[in-house]
Amino acid sequence: MKGKFFGRGSRNHKGIQTTLMITFSVISVSIMLILGIVLYVRFSALSREEIVQSTQKLMEQTGESLEDYLISMRQISDAAYYNVIKESDFSSQSQGIQQGLNLLYEANRDTLRSIAVYNNYGSLMAAEPVAAQKEDPDITRQDWYVQAMEEMENLHFSTPHIQNLFDDDASRYYWVISLSRVVELTQEGNSQLGVLLVDMDYSSISRMMDQINTMNNGQYYYLCDSNGEIIYHRQQIQISDGIRKENSKAAAEYKDGVYDERFEGSRRKVIVNTISYTGWKLVGVIPYSAFTMGMVNIRYFIIMLLLLMCMMLAFINRLVSVRISRPILRLNDSVMEYEAGKKPRIYIGGSKEIRYLGYSIQTSYEQIENLMEEIVKEQNERRKSELDALQSQINPHFLYNALDSITWMIEGGRNDDASYMITQLARLFRISLSKGRTIIRIGDELQHARSYMNIQKIRCRDSFTVTYEVDPEVESCCVVKLVLQPILENAINYGVSGMDDSGRIKVMGSMREGKIYLTVEDNGMGIPEEEVGLLLTDGSRVHKHGSGVGLVNVNNRIQILFGKEYGLQIESEPDEGTKVTICIPAIPYTEENRELLEKGHRLSRDKLTGQAPLPQDRTEEQETKA
Amino acid sequence: MKNSRKMFILTEGILAILAVIAAFVMFQERNGQERPKVSVIIRDSDASRWSAFKYGLEMAAEDMDVEMFVVSTGEQMTLEEEEELIERELNDGVDAMIIQPVSGAQSKEILEQAGKKVPLMLVEQRASSGGKGLPVTEPDHFAMGKTLASELLKDYDGNLLGKTLGIVWSEENSEAARQRAEGFQSELEGEGARVLWTLCEESAKVPLEDQPEADVIVALDDKSFVRAGNASESHTLHGAVVYGIGNSTEAVYCLDFGSAECLIVPDEFSVGYESLRTVAESFRFFSGEMEGKKVSHTVMRRENIFTKENQEILFTMNQ
Repeated sequence: MKGKFFGRGSRNHKGIQTTLMITFSVISVSIMLILGIVLYVRFSALSREEIVQSTQKLMEQTGESLEDYLISMRQISDAAYYNVIKESDFSSQSQGIQQGLNLLYEANRDTLRSIAVYNNYGSLMAAEPVAAQKEDPDITRQDWYVQAMEEMENLHFSTPHIQNLFDDDASRYYWVISLSRVVELTQEGNSQLGVLLVDMDYSSISRMMDQINTMNNGQYYYLCDSNGEIIYHRQQIQISDGIRKENSKAAAEYKDGVYDERFEGSRRKVIVNTISYTGWKLVGVIPYSAFTMGMVNIRYFIIMLLLLMCMMLAFINRLVSVRISRPILRLNDSVMEYEAGKKPRIYIGGSKEIRYLGYSIQTSYEQIENLMEEIVKEQNERRKSELDALQSQINPHFLYNALDSITWMIEGGRNDDASYMITQLARLFRISLSKGRTIIRIGDELQHARSYMNIQKIRCRDSFTVTYEVDPEVESCCVVKLVLQPILENAINYGVSGMDDSGRIKVMGSMREGKIYLTVEDNGMGIPEEEVGLLLTDGSRVHKHGSGVGLVNVNNRIQILFGKEYGLQIESEPDEGTKVTICIPAIPYTEENRELLEKGHRLSRDKLTGQAPLPQDRTEEQETKA
Repeated sequence: MKNSRKMFILTEGILAILAVIAAFVMFQERNGQERPKVSVIIRDSDASRWSAFKYGLEMAAEDMDVEMFVVSTGEQMTLEEEEELIERELNDGVDAMIIQPVSGAQSKEILEQAGKKVPLMLVEQRASSGGKGLPVTEPDHFAMGKTLASELLKDYDGNLLGKTLGIVWSEENSEAARQRAEGFQSELEGEGARVLWTLCEESAKVPLEDQPEADVIVALDDKSFVRAGNASESHTLHGAVVYGIGNSTEAVYCLDFGSAECLIVPDEFSVGYESLRTVAESFRFFSGEMEGKKVSHTVMRRENIFTKENQEILFTMNQ
């Protein structure tokens, strides 16, 4: 029951310190983990928001720059038309027109590739810088010309293309964005339609875009027109070659804002900003991997921080758990030592509650010890009184029989026999008394038995014979007094009493394997098998002869003093005889052993204060006796 | 009690090791991994015919996060100079090389030696004819030669009977020129055209202009195409029509201004892009093994120079 609840030896139950440590650690680590995750999620959300916002700002700025650039181009176009072309006649004022265009070109040559005016047949009217026109550029079929002519009221910005107008000494082809519009030309006083072309250097736009495309986290920006045709993309050629793809068609459909999209199997945020006048879309793309790329270091930092906090918490948890559990553990140790049979002082220390517990346990143990002592004392007293009671059952009965016999002898004039009998009776009683001792030497017990048998033989007129075969070494050992006499009494009464002079009783004593066997054997009528078993168990049986004390009495006395493994053994065969054997431990008779036995201690071999007498010792003893 | 202490020390130890690992990884991330360095050795590195190739390299370097640099070289490069450059680059600790091999049989051995030390990709042509050897990213020279011949045939309605051809190329022992010539001749076989002369400008004693009069001049590389175009423009080719292969804006200009009839343009952007991408992927996937690639080509004529597709080719040439 104790083991079940407290499980001292059980592996399933952890110590208080481990339990405290685990509990503290689990709670603190859980809190930290939750805190860490919440912090990380919050931080990454803020960081994502921050990236999107900064991208939006950057795109707004770039959009404004692009718009400024396009406005300046438009202003150049306006200035060329309204200030130079519209007011002049090409036939008479070509010089002035050229100068006007030249002024405009020189003022903006960083961003301009050329300014040219074509008539409605596609013939070059004026151009700046002055350069030889290609042999047959087929102006009227070029996109910018066609667009201008189709929608005359508008200004048209083309997508980037190679300028195919003039000869270049360096054999180079230039990428330009054309701003074309229909203009009214005057030649020889006649008005006719023409197209004013302002070719902007594409490199100005690509430079602007290159400046913002410096992120190496996968984030990028591109420019497309309202149909999704790419104007600028840092991987323009790869897209054309099909090495990679861009979702520019979808982006062209978006209004200004932030969008989530899945493209080519990966999620990304797309920010769209429309450029005024042109309908171009400036698109910023932030793959989701770009958000996490910046967060990798923060992730590791938070992990490291959590690990260090775990280490610190584990240390603090251990300190706290040790501080709390140490007094309990010490108290537990002292209790366990106490239970193991030692007599340590019960630990009293620690907090008020544990000190009180210690006091309480110590008081309990002291009380238990006192109670135990009292119980042992009472038990001994009880055993002694039991023995005394048993022995006292013998004496009056036997005395009555003996005195009856002596009376009978005296009345019959057998004074010598009476005298002999009285002498034997006196010896018998001397040993019976044994100064009130319960334990006597086997030699004395045998003497007692002889005296008893002598008395009985006289009483029975020598109707049986008694022989003694006792090993001398047996005589110096301890025995409970008056154990042989009831057995002999039974042998006489139930064995040989009815046999005419042929009754034989044999008393034997021997020592084997640390045990002494005292045997009383008769050749009487024997006992039926079914009764043999009852002789030692049924104390309530009615005795036909004898004192009525019987073998139960002897057996009980032996077992009270020496233990349950000792006692009587009865073997009997009807019409052949009975053999009763007393088995007791071979304990040398010394004053110390006797006292210990009488106090109720069961002596083991190693506790004996003397050794069993050796054969030569026995001889000496016998000689001394003689 | 002892077990509890052991567990405590073990837990603290494990946590400490994990914290050190996290710190190490964090600092590694912060320092950033060193980008692999790839060196590119091409002959006459500043020539305009390499513009598209170099733009392709730049784009691939950006896409694949590789540090790429083109070694500056002169117009002429001997085998010894190439060997010296390779040694110098290896000593500088490059992680891989992209090399245009110098024509000649000995070149192969030197390149194979270098290829054992670092990943090596050849561009434009093989080290020498026969055998596979090192991986090569190059235009399909034989196919280009064939295309050139078929364009010629097309222009003459398949009838070249009695026409004389002069074939010109610039570099002696050029494997690319050899394959292009083979392709060209294989297509024209049995068509009646006669090769009047062949000319390797590098080793020729007589210049192009002084060659016997031919109906068609076939230039097998960019340099010879531009020379032939310029000669045609200055009317020193006795009215011969120029056909050829080229990949510079000068070559396109020759076409644009009518001094050449047809130009086959190899996709040099892809040669540069694919060569570096293959090298970079060999780092990324730790495969170490690379495979060469043959890239496509485009037929350019005066009337289609400014189509959308061809404008993009010009865009790469202009970088």
